[in-house]
Amino acid sequence: MPKFLFKLLPVLSVVFISTKSFAQKINSKTSNISFYSHTAVEDIKASNTASVSVLDPTTGDVVFSVPMQSFDFEKALMQKHFNSPDFLDTKTEPKAKLVGKITNLSKVNFKIDGIYSAEVSGEMTIKGISKPFTAKSTITIKGSSFEVESKFEIILEDYGIAFKKGKPSTNIAKTIQITVLAEY
Amino acid sequence: MNRKKTMKFSVIVTVIASLIAGTVVFYLFNQPKRDVQATKTDFRFTASQLVTEYLVDAKKANAKYLNEDGNSKVLEISGMVANISENYNKQKVLLLKFPADSAGVSCTIISVKDPLLNQIKLSEDIIVKGVIRSGASYDKDLGMYENVIMDNCKIISTKQ
Repeated sequence: MPKFLFKLLPVLSVVFISTKSFAQKINSKTSNISFYSHTAVEDIKASNTASVSVLDPTTGDVVFSVPMQSFDFEKALMQKHFNSPDFLDTKTEPKAKLVGKITNLSKVNFKIDGIYSAEVSGEMTIKGISKPFTAKSTITIKGSSFEVESKFEIILEDYGIAFKKGKPSTNIAKTIQITVLAEY
Repeated sequence: MNRKKTMKFSVIVTVIASLIAGTVVFYLFNQPKRDVQATKTDFRFTASQLVTEYLVDAKKANAKYLNEDGNSKVLEISGMVANISENYNKQKVLLLKFPADSAGVSCTIISVKDPLLNQIKLSEDIIVKGVIRSGASYDKDLGMYENVIMDNCKIISTKQ
């Protein structure tokens, strides 16, 4: 090996190590995932503060893992229906998951404070069914921490949740709104 | 006369039946949430025991501890306080985890006014009662172990 390469070795290793340590996934400190279903009969809301998320600012990879039984409802009966095998079947499928990537990462500078629009696309798994997913989100960067906020809609039937008749078919909307907030 | 009596009787029966049905529907619709702390404890474990059971066979553990209606098993978990944090609703979250374990049990304390909360210190051994929401596992996408999640928790014992 040429001599100059030996001299370069410490420099290269420092570059490699610093790049590697920068490419780290950041864990969420707090999160709140809520959903809202609106029909003429009733409005249903629930929120969940127990989700775990990681985001890698260098690659744009973002993951959310959502413990489904942690959704808290206003009414006990709604919570029971939500968890039941006919609806989310949370005993068999206790977690929902989002694995995505910020597709316009070049437009988000995690080193400069500001509010950035980010587009996330990937795959969402609910009740064991995975579907492609895209959503617009806002990333607010302040110092060493940042916040992600996203609002989007999902069609329940896409995830095998469909009611043809009975009370749920009139009381639960076919499309529900999801709001995701996470602080990193 | 008899016909009139029969009519009167059926009207009374219909009214009573409607009242009963209405009350049942009203109760079901407005039934209170389960008071986890007033519910009998189903299992007592150390954080390590529960985590190990999940890491060995998560499917079997879910079948044992999670209920279909979301009113899952009420557990008392003893363990070492490895982390104290706050969730989005400003509730305290205690992580019970032994240093050698890959994962622990994350317990969201229901009352922000719980006087024991201010006394809790890191590395202290405590016992927490609450309801299990999900188990521990290694998640390849997150690239880390996920803790067992419990909420509606209360500290029931501290070893001073």
